[in-house]
Amino acid sequence: MTVSSPPGSFASPDLRHVATRSRPGVLAALTWKRVRPRFWPVAQFLLPAAFPLAILIAWQVTTANNWLPVQILPTPATVLSTFWDLVTGGDIVVNLQISFWRISLGLAVGGLAGLAFGTVLGVSRAADEMLGPLFKALAQVPSLGWVPILILIFGLDEMLKIIIIAKACFVPIVLATSEGIRNVPRPYREVAQVLRLRRRSVLTKLLIPAALPTVFGGIRLALSHAWIALIVVEMLAAAEGVGYMMVWGRTLFQIDIVIVGMLIIGGIGLLMDAGLARIERGMRRWEPARA
Amino acid sequence: MGMNWSKPLAIATLMATLAAVPVRAETLPDTIRFGAFGQGYGQPFGVALLAIAHVKGFIADEFKDTPVKLEWSYLTGTGPAINEAIANGQLDFAQYGGLPNIIGRANGLPTRILMSYGQTTIVGAARTGLPIDSIKDLKGHKVAFQKGTILHWAFLKALEANGLSAKDVTIVDLKTADQLAALAAGSIDASIGTSSLFPLRDQGVVKIFYTSRDAGPKAVGFGGILVSDQFQSKYPETTQRVVRGLVRADEWLSHEENREEALQIWTKSGTPYAALKEEFAGLSLKESFNPLIDDFLIEQYRDATQFSKDEKLIRRDIDLQQWFEPKYLNAALKSLGLEHYWPHRTADGAAIN
Repeated sequence: MTVSSPPGSFASPDLRHVATRSRPGVLAALTWKRVRPRFWPVAQFLLPAAFPLAILIAWQVTTANNWLPVQILPTPATVLSTFWDLVTGGDIVVNLQISFWRISLGLAVGGLAGLAFGTVLGVSRAADEMLGPLFKALAQVPSLGWVPILILIFGLDEMLKIIIIAKACFVPIVLATSEGIRNVPRPYREVAQVLRLRRRSVLTKLLIPAALPTVFGGIRLALSHAWIALIVVEMLAAAEGVGYMMVWGRTLFQIDIVIVGMLIIGGIGLLMDAGLARIERGMRRWEPARA
Repeated sequence: MGMNWSKPLAIATLMATLAAVPVRAETLPDTIRFGAFGQGYGQPFGVALLAIAHVKGFIADEFKDTPVKLEWSYLTGTGPAINEAIANGQLDFAQYGGLPNIIGRANGLPTRILMSYGQTTIVGAARTGLPIDSIKDLKGHKVAFQKGTILHWAFLKALEANGLSAKDVTIVDLKTADQLAALAAGSIDASIGTSSLFPLRDQGVVKIFYTSRDAGPKAVGFGGILVSDQFQSKYPETTQRVVRGLVRADEWLSHEENREEALQIWTKSGTPYAALKEEFAGLSLKESFNPLIDDFLIEQYRDATQFSKDEKLIRRDIDLQQWFEPKYLNAALKSLGLEHYWPHRTADGAAIN
């Protein structure tokens, strides 16, 4: 297996093993890395583009042959020109700013709270036994199910939207954090005990670095949940934002606006996920080395 | 071409065919699918003219000698969802509000307007305790309604009639069910809706400060019963039968002695009886459900089309003359001897005969 960080540190090889085990995607990625040099380098770019391209062609063919009414599936050209109109008209910028702000705030609030609560659940067995079941029960209720009660408490303003997005982020981060910490192999904990590491050192030198990959998986999941929640709240009670733009497009029976919204959300989500993945890689490179 | 006897021969053949098969001139469809706006209570029944024709079996009567099946759906998603269903080919006939009619048509949805489905009273309700007693008092307040519906048009017209514009109020785009929670939570000040707001007043949550009845016929919500263009050109005779059934339903509805039964039919939609009774109290059902495509209806559509353009709800214009298809209604009125039953109205809504 290729290893990207210097080996030999206290916890690194086995922790990577833990990470690999908990996220099967990593294994696939590593296998792919080994195979990749055999391909012509261009394949690297072609492969991810092939499927979207196939969809685009199918879309064009479908609309060109009128297999679906244009009211249901507008042509790619229509969508492109609507996209351009929305960009030049400034609608997209305004809506994105608002949606971005909501996502960032919700992710920050829900993420920090989730990290803290997840750490408590992961570190303390007593806390987990006391709060775990209630948390898991509440986490099962989808965001939409919270809306009627939250409207009564917080009204329809920005607060409601932030809380729903924060709640959507909170759950996966709590789960990932507590699980990440709990899954640190027993031998390492025992070593830490033998070395009589202080509680603080155990947390910073062992638990956090070991849990980080799982936590990051949780954050990336939280981000996708945040987008879903954003659309839910903006569809419900908003007058602006990308989600509202899509609802409005549907109301006006202009599906091209809806598709533009989908493309924007997909594109931004992809970028944000790639950004997070990059940060994650960076962190995993220096964390074990420092230990 | 050039054969002079072809035309007489064709006519003779046609007449012979008509004599032999007096009714069945076209292959009837297996199923006719009707759709209308639901009342948000999730019930498989609705209100206005189509619900009467459905429950009382007026349209079924027209097909009782045939194997044709009738399907009825009342969509909770109202107008926008009906437009999607028509585009999908899931509905042949639909009863829905004038604004979504226009939005669908302007986006190229192939529909034809067969007749008016009647009028909807628009109601404005404000939270009790707020100093809102008229449309004018809404200035600076938060007002909720579902945008893109006939309420949107009706409310902005009412603002305009009172010297205000959309900029003078904060508009919140909310579905009816969410409006109730928002009113109760105090996060909106007022709501524009229909008679479904009356129960909220009875609970003391809101007071009614506006009904379109006080503002004249042009302030009242309107809409049509539409048919998909492919359907009516493929099945003109079926369309004729459907419209005949609708006109018979409308004639039944116009008699005062049927009011009570009609209200009961509409309560199947989930709308409380008291709300319906109040909505139509003192109104002539014959006037409210005038089906005619007359100057008044055309003017309402013209006005709402202009409104939609001004509000940038539609990107293209609509040729109204091409859109109305009164031939089925006229033939049905004639065959039922009802040509002069409902009065034609001027563009202002005054009856002229």
